[in-house]
Amino acid sequence: MTLAIETNGLTRRFGNFCAVDGLDLRVEPGKFYGFLGPNGAGKSTTIKMLTGLLAPTSGTFRILGEDMANMHRAREVKRRVGVVPEDLALFDNLTAREYLTFIGRMYLLPLPTVRERCQELLEMMNLESEERKLTVEFSHGMKKKLALAAALIPNPELLFLDEPFEGVDAVASRILKDTLKRCVERGATVFLTSHVLEIVEKLCTDVGIIAKGKLVHQAPMDQIRRNGSLEDLFLKAVGSERVEVQKLSWLET
Amino acid sequence: MNWSQVRTVLWLRWRLTWNQFTRGSPLNAAIMVFVVALGLGLVVAGGIGGLVGGGLGLAKASPLVLLAVWDVIIVVFLFVWLIGLLTELQRSETIDLNRLLHLPVSLKHIFLVNYLASHLSLSLALFLPGILGLCTGLMWSKGVVMALLFPLALSFVFMVTALTYCLRGWLISLMVNQRRRRAVIAGVTVVAVLLGQLPNLYFNVIGRRHFSPPRRNEPGRAAEASPRQQNRAQKPALPPGFLSAHKFIPPLWVGNGAMALAEGNAWPALGGSLGAFAIGAMGLISAYRSTVRFYRGEQVRAATKSAPKPRAPGAGKTAQRQFLERKLPGIPEEAAVMASPFFRSLTRAPEMKMMMAVNIIMPLLLGVMYFSRRLGPPGEAAKPFLEAAKPFVAAGAVAFAFMSTVQLLFNQFGFDRDGFRALVLLPAQRRYVLLAKNLSLLPIGGGMGLLFLVLVTAVLRLPPWVVLAAICQLASGFLLLSMIGNFVSVTAPYRIAPGSLKPTKAPPKVMALIFVTHLLFPVAMVPLFVPPALGLLFEHLHWFSSGPVNFLLSLAWLAVVAVLYRASLECLGNFLQRREMNIVQAVTQEVE
Repeated sequence: MTLAIETNGLTRRFGNFCAVDGLDLRVEPGKFYGFLGPNGAGKSTTIKMLTGLLAPTSGTFRILGEDMANMHRAREVKRRVGVVPEDLALFDNLTAREYLTFIGRMYLLPLPTVRERCQELLEMMNLESEERKLTVEFSHGMKKKLALAAALIPNPELLFLDEPFEGVDAVASRILKDTLKRCVERGATVFLTSHVLEIVEKLCTDVGIIAKGKLVHQAPMDQIRRNGSLEDLFLKAVGSERVEVQKLSWLET
Repeated sequence: MNWSQVRTVLWLRWRLTWNQFTRGSPLNAAIMVFVVALGLGLVVAGGIGGLVGGGLGLAKASPLVLLAVWDVIIVVFLFVWLIGLLTELQRSETIDLNRLLHLPVSLKHIFLVNYLASHLSLSLALFLPGILGLCTGLMWSKGVVMALLFPLALSFVFMVTALTYCLRGWLISLMVNQRRRRAVIAGVTVVAVLLGQLPNLYFNVIGRRHFSPPRRNEPGRAAEASPRQQNRAQKPALPPGFLSAHKFIPPLWVGNGAMALAEGNAWPALGGSLGAFAIGAMGLISAYRSTVRFYRGEQVRAATKSAPKPRAPGAGKTAQRQFLERKLPGIPEEAAVMASPFFRSLTRAPEMKMMMAVNIIMPLLLGVMYFSRRLGPPGEAAKPFLEAAKPFVAAGAVAFAFMSTVQLLFNQFGFDRDGFRALVLLPAQRRYVLLAKNLSLLPIGGGMGLLFLVLVTAVLRLPPWVVLAAICQLASGFLLLSMIGNFVSVTAPYRIAPGSLKPTKAPPKVMALIFVTHLLFPVAMVPLFVPPALGLLFEHLHWFSSGPVNFLLSLAWLAVVAVLYRASLECLGNFLQRREMNIVQAVTQEVE
């Protein structure tokens, strides 16, 4: 079986600091994979390497079965992948429709298809009423929805989402969740990072936990549920199971 | 990357520029349409003008004239290009790697397309048709040999665009850090201002020595010159090294090549073309290497290496705490605790550094020009006039120093931006907020004033009475400007874009109000010149000596202004409290 994501000893160093240390990931196709870790664990660095935004220091990785070291193949694979980067990568001075058109055309979709999908995505994300607004004038939630719409426009087989639910209200969050669920239902693979364990627990079929650049746990969600809660597992995996409430003396009196 | 993707990125570049200018209001869109129409007109006019100018106007021009024409075109082009670069760094969005690399394109292609997209600039669109038209016209009027101007001019353009791309890439990699981004924009602006002063410096300092006529006190000298010297004087006098400089300074190669071609020598043009192309290619290769380094995170590594070692726990905090906790003698603590952080914040703002650098450098330039133009000691007849002018010069120096702080004093909350919300939330009395704001600007305005005063005192050897009077004028001027500034800041606040001194979000009505209020500056400065004028009058009438009169009147005016300032704080503080919501709306971001 061809894995959706496969990494072998993937490493990324910044000077003396090792952000990702010999990561060996296996993500099967059609899975909803939650990639968890505390702040600074290396989640975003990993997703940047997997999406081609950052070169690894060492190690190899395959996306949808293709070795990403091959530049030509990597470009072909990218046409089958949608990404919501950490900083969303939107252009401030474009409208939502213009941005989606740009992304659609970069994915070499025929113009009628781009128009049709733009319209549908804007309607689905409730952005069609904001036609005249530039993305710089969007709220954070609207920007997230637009970034997800841009990731969906090529109808990708694999979706990378870096913190898609961060700073998003309940309405937008529901739209994002439903959209992602539908993607997985039609056979796509979703790889997301998140700090919100409840969302990961509810959505994901598989979970990987990274701490200090190393993959410390990887298991299907069903197995995790059988052995307790995701929160307990997460705290144990990252070495913070004995979380004690710090007390401030001046706050007690 | 295929042609469709190239077109898409070019479309993106155009759309970003269009939206950037048409954003906001239909008026902006109308202005943009007008600018585009004007630009197209200029493109056509430039092309035709260049063709006609080269074909007819310069048909009989000497090689030296050709050199001068090309030099002027190149210098003006470079200046406009630099302004364009500045504008782009300040206003536009870069099509950076992080926004495109997750798309199905390669690093090399993105680099090339980005470079091509950088050619879609107003300066290039305006100048290139004119340059090509001029080349065609010269070829028509002076023969086929002038065709070598085409590769020369195009390789020059390639050199400029490639080096700019390299520079811009480097600046953008520096600007990944937001704090450094503002510093970079400020630094580039200062460099642009200084470059703008270079012609001034050249013609007023260096050029003057070569173009200056015989001195007035040596009338017989010209007549006594030999016929050969007289003949040389009738020809255009070129500074020494002027022509040699054209061989070694790349932007001047175009002029040098054109002159040589007109003289029938093709080698300088060929050499210039090859040289400019080689420099451009090196720039592009260097830019690509920077891009790859950036992609590989090597710049981050360099930054990590150069990062300062962490201080011992508490060591740095002690110094900071001492400064921020410092009590100001005679100032209510409520105001003092705000004044120190306001000042600390100002000194860290790159726009502040930019303003200070320009304001220190400009007087230095003026000073250099002043000394270079001095022809000798003043005559006996001029001495009384110069003595009488000294108090006015001192007052002028004080006023000049304040000129640089007007934008800060008259828009004290515009630089706070979103931080103004914190001021609204403070439980402090609003008069103390105003007092703290004024105090935070005192070291800047007062410091500049003192610096200028010291310089003027040293240069003109001002008498002690004049210096004392000027110190009083400095204090009264600052208090008066603070009073007006407090009123204007509350009445017509406007947001200043981070890293620049450019107003944003200011509707035309507010812009008009800003313009009118800035006219108050000269009015506020008039009282500084009254005591010296009255001192002069008293001395003229043989009542009193001008020095003590000037000082006493300045002191009296300071006392009056101090009382007024104290009284105004309460009233303006209440005014500030009433208008806080309006100010929040004006100076903060509209969106989350």
